[in-house]
Amino acid sequence: MKVNYSYLAEQFANSDPILEDIKKLILSGNFTLGKDLEIFEQKFAQFIKIKYAIGVASGTDALRLSLLALGIKNGDEVITTTNTFFATIGAIVTVGAKPIFIDVKDDYNINPEQIEKAITPRTRAILPVHWHGCPADMVKIIAIANRHNLPVVEDACMALGAEIKGKKMGSFGDTGCFSLHPLKPLNVWGDGGIITTDSEEIKNCLLLLRNHGLKNRDECEFYAFNSRLDPLQAIVGNHMINQVDWIIAQKIKNATIYDKALAKIPQVTIPSRDINTKQVYHNYVVMVEKRDELLSYLLAQGIDAKIHYPIPQHLQKASKLFGYKQGDLPQSELQATRIISLPVHQHLSEEQISYTAQKIAEFYK
Amino acid sequence: MRPIKVKYVNLPLQFESLQGEILPVITAVLKSGDFILGSEVINLEKKLAVYCGTQYALGVGNATDALILCLKGLGIGLGDEVITAPNSFIATAGAIVAVGAIPRFIDVNDDFNINTRLIEGAITSRTKGIIPIHLTGRPANMHAILEIAKKKKLHVIEDAAQAIGAEYYGKRVGSFGIAGCFSLHPLKNLNASGDGGIITTSDAELYEKLVKLRNHGLKNREEAEFWGYNSRLDTLQAAIINIKMNHLEMWNKRIRDIASRYQQNLAKIVKVPADQEFEKAVYHTFIIESDQRDQLKSYLLERGIETKIHYKIPLHLQPAAVDLGYKKGDFPKAEKQAEVILSLPIYPELTDAQVDFVIEQITSFHKKIK
Repeated sequence: MKVNYSYLAEQFANSDPILEDIKKLILSGNFTLGKDLEIFEQKFAQFIKIKYAIGVASGTDALRLSLLALGIKNGDEVITTTNTFFATIGAIVTVGAKPIFIDVKDDYNINPEQIEKAITPRTRAILPVHWHGCPADMVKIIAIANRHNLPVVEDACMALGAEIKGKKMGSFGDTGCFSLHPLKPLNVWGDGGIITTDSEEIKNCLLLLRNHGLKNRDECEFYAFNSRLDPLQAIVGNHMINQVDWIIAQKIKNATIYDKALAKIPQVTIPSRDINTKQVYHNYVVMVEKRDELLSYLLAQGIDAKIHYPIPQHLQKASKLFGYKQGDLPQSELQATRIISLPVHQHLSEEQISYTAQKIAEFYK
Repeated sequence: MRPIKVKYVNLPLQFESLQGEILPVITAVLKSGDFILGSEVINLEKKLAVYCGTQYALGVGNATDALILCLKGLGIGLGDEVITAPNSFIATAGAIVAVGAIPRFIDVNDDFNINTRLIEGAITSRTKGIIPIHLTGRPANMHAILEIAKKKKLHVIEDAAQAIGAEYYGKRVGSFGIAGCFSLHPLKNLNASGDGGIITTSDAELYEKLVKLRNHGLKNREEAEFWGYNSRLDTLQAAIINIKMNHLEMWNKRIRDIASRYQQNLAKIVKVPADQEFEKAVYHTFIIESDQRDQLKSYLLERGIETKIHYKIPLHLQPAAVDLGYKKGDFPKAEKQAEVILSLPIYPELTDAQVDFVIEQITSFHKKIK
């Protein structure tokens, strides 16, 4: 049996309605900003239950433009987690700021208990990541941020639809940043991203930041960027957003089957599941003994397991200039040697999930 | 007002003729699921490198990003100065500021391009590069620019956003500087159905750096060599451009034919751009100059002809430039041009009859005001 990690062929098997709309767009020639994008932004804001959503070129740019909109600049420090994708750190560094890495808890997310002691006079923001679709502890993080008068940018690139006590991720911080990359649950046919905010001021700033700072065709208010979500991709988003709830429900169902089956295997550690949060399992990640051997074994059995990721951000070559070393963030370093991501996407059958769990059990026998 | 007879742009016309080719490639990309840096991007990069006469071409998110990535890739940043012209699109200055550098504007010539005689006077100890713009699709004076750059050890990044296919002494733009930056924006001569950009270069070291800069600094799935951006040309857009590449030469020829029809018939009435024998402009815009510009614009619009102004406010007089310390009068040529320039419709699908109608109306306007 094959258990693939990717699923795009299945997901887009019947895309004629989307192609019809794209044809209409192409015949209209309206390829920059405009109505289709506005509709998508409204739908997205409604989904998150927030006032504004602003489409941009990627999840990376969502983070970068959010930091710029909050005035983060050269020499500032931004507190974040080492368990994240490269883009989180790239966004901080490309606005001229310095990432301050914090260790994680056993749910793989930033440990709020360690944030406060990392705050310095140069700290300008906190950037928690809802890693693998599991909400970071936003209640504690927002309390710390308020105490120190710091803005919060949520990296929700993996966490569309995730909730804490019924409130969606992306609606806790000053901004929420989402990716529409092809491998995300709400995926377009290329790069794309979107920012959520309740602040009219931040929204207005972002509208200028994504479009050269132009307040009209002739006048540039401040120097900025070109980072727009293509209307063509917004059309795809307008169709796919209807599937998100179903996709999330399927992934939660799959994760629940894994949780139950893997709980019986002593060599597998499942992260604690907080009953107040709704995780969306962008990746289904557990900690295992003999990780590398298990990975090879599963691959040989046709199960497309992955590692997200073997090297934490503070130990990347690119991080050398920040002066971190092995041992600085022990929890994340340990996780990096033991985590494994199992296929969990919405097109998997119960049989495929059980097969995967069964192969893991067999490996340890 | 009468209905529009000659639109300034008319993209639907282009697509009506190409939809039979374009829709199937969209479906093919969709079926492949190869949405990010897919084979269509690689094919396009190969084609464009050959077309521009460079070793490499690289698809990026847009032309603004192309400039930003080149500046970053060359190590130009905080406190450095970059010399450029004040009559470009805002993105040229925006890219310089985005990397922390300072744009140093110098005035332009009658051909709207940077006045190379003024470059040396603007060079300071902090100057790291020159970004000449091939504005309107007409090559800047690259021989003089390269000579100064060589003497002063400065990088030259060509802003060729408007100039795909333009030639200077038989060589295509984008192949003169260490890098060339092209736009695939929907309104360009070679246009995507969304944002897109291309960087050309023959410098292997810069190329390797740019490949990582556009993709998070990644050297493989797991390791970042340095911190970068996400700025990739979508596979879907590359597939569309690959089709249009087959038509580009024909389109540019048609655009040049229209330009020459305008030139022949308007030269006696208004100031028109004219190629010199060593260059081949591709007329992304065809800009005439008239002292009664605003009246002429209204007159044409009343007769169903759309025109534009590229651009009304020079970069050094924008609200965004206030901290750079320029004032009105600093660049008299560019400032004067901003008051008299008018862009006429020019795209391959315009008919000769439409072009003649535009000529006729401009002629009749000037008869009336005499």
